Amino acid sequence: MMPFPRTGFRLLAAFGFILATQASAQTSSQKDLLEKGRYLAAAADCSACHTHDATAPYGGGNPFRLPIGTLYAPNITPDIQHGIGSYTETDFSNALRRGIGKNGKPLYPAMPFPSYARMTDADIHALWIYFHDGVAPIARSAPDNAIHWPLSMRWPMTLWRWAFAPTPKAAQANAKRDFPSDEIARGAYLVEGPGHCGACHTPRALTMQEKALSSDEGDAFLSSGAAVDGWTPVNLRQDDRTGLGRWSENDIVAFLATGRSKKGSAFGGMSDAIEHGTQYLSTADLHAIARYLKTSLPARKHEKPWHANPAIAQTLREGRLPNAGSRIYIDRCAACHRTDGHGYAPAFPPLAGNPTLMDKDPGSLILIVLRGATVVPTQKAPSALTMPGFGHVLNDQEVADVVTFIRQSWGNSGSTVTAADVHDFRNRNAEWINTPPPKPFN
Amino acid sequence: MSTPSSSRRHFVRNAAGTTAFLLLAGHDFRARALAATALSDKPQFFTPEEIRFLNAACDCIYPHDDLGPSATELGVPVFIDRQMNTPYGRGELWYMTGPFREGPANLGYQLPFAPRDLYRKGIAGADHYARSARGKVFADLDTHDQIEILTAFEGGAVHFPDLNARLFFEQLRRNTLEGVFADPIYGGNRNMEGWALLAFPGARADFMDWVNQEGAAYPFAPVSISGQKA
Amino acid sequence: MTLKRTDVVIIGAGWAGAILAKEMREAGRSVVMLERGPERSTATEGTYPGSIDELRGAIRHRLFQNPAKTTVTIRNTVNQTALPYRQLAAFLPGEGVGGAGLHWSGVHFRAAPDDLRLRSHVIDRYGAKFIPEGMNLQDYGVTYEELEPFFDKAEKVFGTSGEAYRVNGQIVGNGNVFAPSRSDKFPLPAMQDVYTASLFRKAASEAGYHPYSLPAANASMQYTNTYGLQMGPCNFCGYCSGYDCYMYSKASPNINILPSLRYDSDFTLITDAHVLKINLDSDRRKATGVTYLDQRENRETTIEADLVILAAFQFHNVHLMLLSGIGRPYDPISNTGVVGRNFVYQTITTSRAWLSENQFTNQFVGAGGAGVAVDDFNSDNFDHGPLGFVGGSPIWVNQAGVKPIAAALNGGGKSAPRWGAGYKAGLVDTYRHSLAMDAHGSNMAYRDVYLDLDPTWHDSYGQPLLRMTFTWKENDIRMNQYVVGKIEPIMKALGARRYELGRLEHGEAFDTRRYQTTHLGGGAVMGTNPNESALNRYLQSWDVSNVFVIGSNAFPQGMGYNPTGMVAALAYWAAYHIRTTYLTQPGPLVTL
Repeated sequence: MMPFPRTGFRLLAAFGFILATQASAQTSSQKDLLEKGRYLAAAADCSACHTHDATAPYGGGNPFRLPIGTLYAPNITPDIQHGIGSYTETDFSNALRRGIGKNGKPLYPAMPFPSYARMTDADIHALWIYFHDGVAPIARSAPDNAIHWPLSMRWPMTLWRWAFAPTPKAAQANAKRDFPSDEIARGAYLVEGPGHCGACHTPRALTMQEKALSSDEGDAFLSSGAAVDGWTPVNLRQDDRTGLGRWSENDIVAFLATGRSKKGSAFGGMSDAIEHGTQYLSTADLHAIARYLKTSLPARKHEKPWHANPAIAQTLREGRLPNAGSRIYIDRCAACHRTDGHGYAPAFPPLAGNPTLMDKDPGSLILIVLRGATVVPTQKAPSALTMPGFGHVLNDQEVADVVTFIRQSWGNSGSTVTAADVHDFRNRNAEWINTPPPKPFN
Repeated sequence: MSTPSSSRRHFVRNAAGTTAFLLLAGHDFRARALAATALSDKPQFFTPEEIRFLNAACDCIYPHDDLGPSATELGVPVFIDRQMNTPYGRGELWYMTGPFREGPANLGYQLPFAPRDLYRKGIAGADHYARSARGKVFADLDTHDQIEILTAFEGGAVHFPDLNARLFFEQLRRNTLEGVFADPIYGGNRNMEGWALLAFPGARADFMDWVNQEGAAYPFAPVSISGQKA
Repeated sequence: MTLKRTDVVIIGAGWAGAILAKEMREAGRSVVMLERGPERSTATEGTYPGSIDELRGAIRHRLFQNPAKTTVTIRNTVNQTALPYRQLAAFLPGEGVGGAGLHWSGVHFRAAPDDLRLRSHVIDRYGAKFIPEGMNLQDYGVTYEELEPFFDKAEKVFGTSGEAYRVNGQIVGNGNVFAPSRSDKFPLPAMQDVYTASLFRKAASEAGYHPYSLPAANASMQYTNTYGLQMGPCNFCGYCSGYDCYMYSKASPNINILPSLRYDSDFTLITDAHVLKINLDSDRRKATGVTYLDQRENRETTIEADLVILAAFQFHNVHLMLLSGIGRPYDPISNTGVVGRNFVYQTITTSRAWLSENQFTNQFVGAGGAGVAVDDFNSDNFDHGPLGFVGGSPIWVNQAGVKPIAAALNGGGKSAPRWGAGYKAGLVDTYRHSLAMDAHGSNMAYRDVYLDLDPTWHDSYGQPLLRMTFTWKENDIRMNQYVVGKIEPIMKALGARRYELGRLEHGEAFDTRRYQTTHLGGGAVMGTNPNESALNRYLQSWDVSNVFVIGSNAFPQGMGYNPTGMVAALAYWAAYHIRTTYLTQPGPLVTL
């Protein structure tokens, strides 16, 4: 599967041209509003769920395959019959901020309305203008949701919303709380609001609501969420080992703008968020986000700071292989990530000191070893550098050995991973492991 | 723009708090890969009689000695057998359009035969030659006679009905050495003993720490594409 | 997808095509690029460990042109019958996206100034009578000074590693003392010396020569190029020549240019598209587009274009010109015509030193472009007056990573058995303890060495094969022998246990069965005289002004250096003049 089908690009470009022509006939304030809406749609990453077919932007149809059935993201283009063309701005606002569809139907909480609730009226208006005037109507409906009774009833969603989703009024008030600077306030708004970062990066309660929706609701906020498709969203707080404590503001900005930085490269769901979203944010907004993230406190107070330990690199250079993991590392990993674990960032990411690898959940690391990963191509960094998967080359014991070696070398501290853990992981994540990763032209 | 946003759209699955429903047993992928490539010695192209020739001839070219195993011990006849059923063996990597005309040797190969034809005609020719000159088929001769015959082929003075024996010999020498030194996935170079002879590290493909060792030998044993370790 | 029209159609997705595509897109022109072979990407077939496979790679020609579909015929002299080049061996053209630029080694030279005006230079220094009878010695019609900005531009795209000697007239480093001044240093520092290269550096110095690090388009560090595209650092894995680089560290069109075009809606790359001919209008002065065979659908398709860039491999460019009737075919008897004239190659011979048994040369460690060279006997860096030949050779250790099958087929040197008893011992000794050095030299153009269409054989598309008439000439054999003689003092300074010198022998005919180099050149050369060149100095066809032909086909003679750097500079040079002059005022860029 090629992530960038040529025809898709051609159509998208043609589409952009049509939009540009329409826009030129509009007044400059309308045009500005539309562009603002386009920008916010990127910031809110709407296309991640609502664009299934790149030739039909926002045409919906992305399947959410659940054990209870399959949900399909709806068409949100202004097509009257198939999209949201019949929505009023109020309907639109209710869907985004309250999770209530037209005619009062509650939305499944895959839609991050608890975060969007924070968005200002002005931003919602801009988004409305964009989805009303700036997006081409697509006359195509997403398939009907195939959810089995009784879960096909949406009323339990209403109860969930009453219990856990903030009202827009409360959320907007919270967004106006005191911040050290306007820039940090802007960063907070983007992260907690349209960016809905917590949807993945904040742990959830048993009842599935995020444990915190903003930084003032406690240290759980952005302290790493449950695995998504086998990928474990990393802790975005200032923990030294397992968070972003050693990432500078510029590292974070580079990561969000290009998918790569001196400290690490994006993988899993974050690649989508960068591809559709953060790469389009202004440098000022990216700095605002980074500064805001740097204001957080560590979630895990006991963590000792990470310090590079060169001992293992020296041992390997001397031709000694102290354990089975080191042997596999020398055979398969050191070419790009080096015997000293530093990699060649930002081309090939460092493993030494990489917070993802020291997470108590080794899932992301196991999945990368099995399936490989591609750094998302972005406008500023179009190279889609790809790591091959080793799932067909390494058995469970070998994966466990090399993952453990990586988690415990160069000063890294992570728990030992056993063959049984890997076996279990393969069982739980067979779908993601066996989904072929994107194969970019690079 | 990627088509399905693979990860995030599955978020809701986790949000619904479900457990895995796909349970697959046994994921020893490497064992599976190895099993797929673990080649039985049963020939797929050559007849048993042809294999007897190959066993004998390949071992003349690459014999067992105090430096290590012979071609046959390394699986080379199996390697050559499997190569016959590839585009290479079928001549699909050569220009095979006529007319076919003889010319000076330095202008290269000019026969209408793919490698599999060269073997079929060459082995028949070699056994015929061995019977005529020494009274037995090649494989039944003693090693000394076999070497003399191959030396005669190499010299270019022996002609089979359709080709000069030298062409057949060169084809055989080339494929024998390929089988000794190619990755074990192709059936030869068993246990990477071909590579071990040369201290070639195989598919590791990283020497950043060992670019210039001032003449010291590289420290690590070979690894194969599929992960075999010596 | 049926495309009817584009501003620019580019034939070939190698270096020349990729450079022109990028430049034409920067100029705002829509581009359709046609590539005969398949898509090639690092993330699929170039990926580790599948790409680290000698049998599938260099031995079974994974990235090379498959001669089953189309090849050439070859003869040594005009009175021979040329026979088909049925098995790839002597030279290895590429196929698929990236072309030979995907499987090249990475040696990335500029040209020596004297080589670009070799005829004028030889006459100036040695007199017109110095040029042997039958040698078509010519100038390129462009100078080093004119090309310098484009050499510089190409190096910054390729991420070239090297050490400069002179920048803007000032000596700045320990580079090649014979190299001309540069406007900037190399974008990356020189590659490290492998053990054998370090020994050569020392021995060559002791022999009184001037060693320098080969300029390598293998990145010595990770690098982000002019187009924002990334390279990893070369880790000396040794899989360069004949392979695609899994580390993203050897420059290729696939890594260094095309990713910046892939998402551009006005750039379309069509693979498996074999161009049959360039279409001309009725008076044959203007190209209207091209016709290609869609090899997946087995359907002929015609694209109309304002500008046709012929950027396939050297001899494919000449072949397409002959098939399309662009320019007058060369006739060696009447010595008229230009297309096919001045077909050239390079001389290359390998010598070998065996070191002591406690010196392990680890020849599998290597990088295709890295090494140490001396230029003391290249170009006109030495007095040819008493020697009576034209041309020269660099001498180098370019340990590109020796793989076991290739080593085994070569065996243990001239005196060792090729098989049987004693074979293994000779092979082991040679693989573990020897080092190779090459004399990689020039090859001049001659009146009876040329390209034309073969009268007998056809390709699988029903078109006549290209015929090469080529052999080694006395001038070049004498040059090679002279330079190889200069290797001997290096061998002595190395303290070699024994050594063998490889050289061309008098009367030796070109042998198509043994790999030499893929550095074919000429056949549609650039110049200032339309009676001696098919292209003007901007690589524009003299006859059909909306056809530019980019590649080593433009070289009037084969130089001692590897050609890719020169091809890239010529591509940027031609593109610059297309952009600044041709596009605003289409027509001949040179009028006589």
